Amino acid sequence: MIRSFVASNHRIPDCRFWVSKIVVDSGGFFFESMFIPNTVLGVRMGRPTTVISSGKRLLPSIVAISLLLPLLLAGTARAADLSVSSSTYLRYYERELAGGNKNTFAPLYEYLSADAANLGGAPVAFHFYGWGRVDLSDPSGSGKESGDLGSAYLEYLHPKGNAQMKLGRFFLAEGVAVETLDGAFFKVTTPVGIGISGYGGAPVEQSILDNTSKGDSLYGGRVFFVRPGFVEMGVSYLKEKGPFQGKDRELYGGDLWLRVAPPVEFTAQATYNRSTRGMASQRYALRVVPGSRFDISAGYEAYSYKDLFQTALHPIFITPSAVIDNTDKVQTIFGVLDWEVVSGLTFELAAKNIRHDKANPGNANRGEAGVRYTFNDKKDVFGLSAAAVTADRDENEYQEFRGFVSFSPAKLRLTLDALTQQYKQAISGKKNAHQVVASAGYKVRPYLSVSGDLTYTQSPTFQQDYAGLLRATLELGTATGGKK
Amino acid sequence: MTRRAPFAAVFGAVLIALLVGCSAVSQTPSVPPKHPEELPAGRVDCLECHKDVSTGALKPYASVRHSRVFIDSHGTYARQGQNLCASCHAPAFCQTCHAGKEEMKPNTKMGDRPDRRAPHRGDYLITHRIDGRLDPGSCFRCHGNKNDSRCKQCHK
Repeated sequence: MIRSFVASNHRIPDCRFWVSKIVVDSGGFFFESMFIPNTVLGVRMGRPTTVISSGKRLLPSIVAISLLLPLLLAGTARAADLSVSSSTYLRYYERELAGGNKNTFAPLYEYLSADAANLGGAPVAFHFYGWGRVDLSDPSGSGKESGDLGSAYLEYLHPKGNAQMKLGRFFLAEGVAVETLDGAFFKVTTPVGIGISGYGGAPVEQSILDNTSKGDSLYGGRVFFVRPGFVEMGVSYLKEKGPFQGKDRELYGGDLWLRVAPPVEFTAQATYNRSTRGMASQRYALRVVPGSRFDISAGYEAYSYKDLFQTALHPIFITPSAVIDNTDKVQTIFGVLDWEVVSGLTFELAAKNIRHDKANPGNANRGEAGVRYTFNDKKDVFGLSAAAVTADRDENEYQEFRGFVSFSPAKLRLTLDALTQQYKQAISGKKNAHQVVASAGYKVRPYLSVSGDLTYTQSPTFQQDYAGLLRATLELGTATGGKK
Repeated sequence: MTRRAPFAAVFGAVLIALLVGCSAVSQTPSVPPKHPEELPAGRVDCLECHKDVSTGALKPYASVRHSRVFIDSHGTYARQGQNLCASCHAPAFCQTCHAGKEEMKPNTKMGDRPDRRAPHRGDYLITHRIDGRLDPGSCFRCHGNKNDSRCKQCHK
């Protein structure tokens, strides 16, 4: 039986209200405040909604596109390389509410990804990605249905010079831009190594607040110089018309990759926020990669809350509060090591020193060590890791230990993943948390796999919780070569 | 400037770039849109087969070795271009984490892949308070403009 025990009249640290009950699940959470009128006499009456469409019509659209795509491309099917990936998840968990009520959640998710390349024999491709949810029991989110269209775009890849164009909805990372955009993108490199990219359209952004709006339009570009194997440097610009604390979003950026010597490379990226007239972020790193078995990097990173978070639509980043003082600045020194000592056996070390201008949250250090052993022709991995965070303030200190293993005999796949955390300062009266995820799967056909997960969690928010998940993965394709 | 002006400017720039790009594009071959051979399971090591400099990233293959170092800093490389990434990863791969709207944590979706560095393992409702206080910049990259209706229950 799947049960969850939930505390009543529970004070959530860093929240400015008392909650009458907490409803949590391993994949997320929501709180129901006594001040939020979505609960009447302990009975759930619905949940707060966002200004964003719940996507009620997206699931049928996703299904329709998945069915129609091969037909739409029938004329070019002879030349096109089609691949479709479908992942279906059915989760199940129960939540016990104050007053003895209990909700049962069984959300059914469909994630669909489709790629059609070489359309009409031309270097043109169509990419699609989206998901939808239907609740088979109580609503698990904002309504009983939801979904999102992640990307749907045409892409042209020139046979030479990696020149490309995109048109539609796509995820873009280019210089200062890390966006999802409804619009167009192009990039071209000239024979002398000077290149240019540009993009424009409507930003696909989301706000968790009611009555707030996202940006209206976004455009920008990057000019760069590249000498293969030696250097790539670029300057970039982005402007977004929007309501970002009363100003547009306007960023200047610089990026550098420099191969100082064959095994040594230096990377740098910096972003200047013109709207706030301050340096938003900087990151510099030196990396040594002498071969395929050793990789070490060290660097410096800094950012200013006010300048980096100006564009946020999530209020935690922009509203001064007990949690985040938006006049704070952070400087970080970090180091990471990845060393495959013998074939299949890899050690990982990571360390980070975080320094804040403000005494709250204060400074902290995080150290981490781990080992991974791959076997069964790289199909399976056994890993152990330990991490410790030491900090000026006890509330920020914790230790973490994790072990995992996978085992794939023939068509079976079994995995086990255990994580435990110990907090220096008790949270909701508890100083530790544990989670174990066990999974078993079977490859029914080369293109069809089914698996099931069982997750057990005990933590400051869960006295005891079990959650189940069934997963079916279908991968179809007409082309040879590596799967994407 | 009217609201439509940026669109017009971008549209014009795209047309110009098309003309210029088609006539003056670099003669180096493009990276194939799809890796021509099947790839092994697990973390990929390009250096097993490839040497020297990639046609797509125009960087040595060692730079994109999928080590912990690379995974932690993959954004630095991706911001200079994703053609090489796209040869093996579908666009949906990025959006497993970099999604505008998402309800399932990556590690919930990939509960059968403990080897992946999926973020937010365990009861992250608790741990996110500490990580968020100490390094909110790492949260902002994905959650700054992300619709997660669960956030608003506390963050108003």
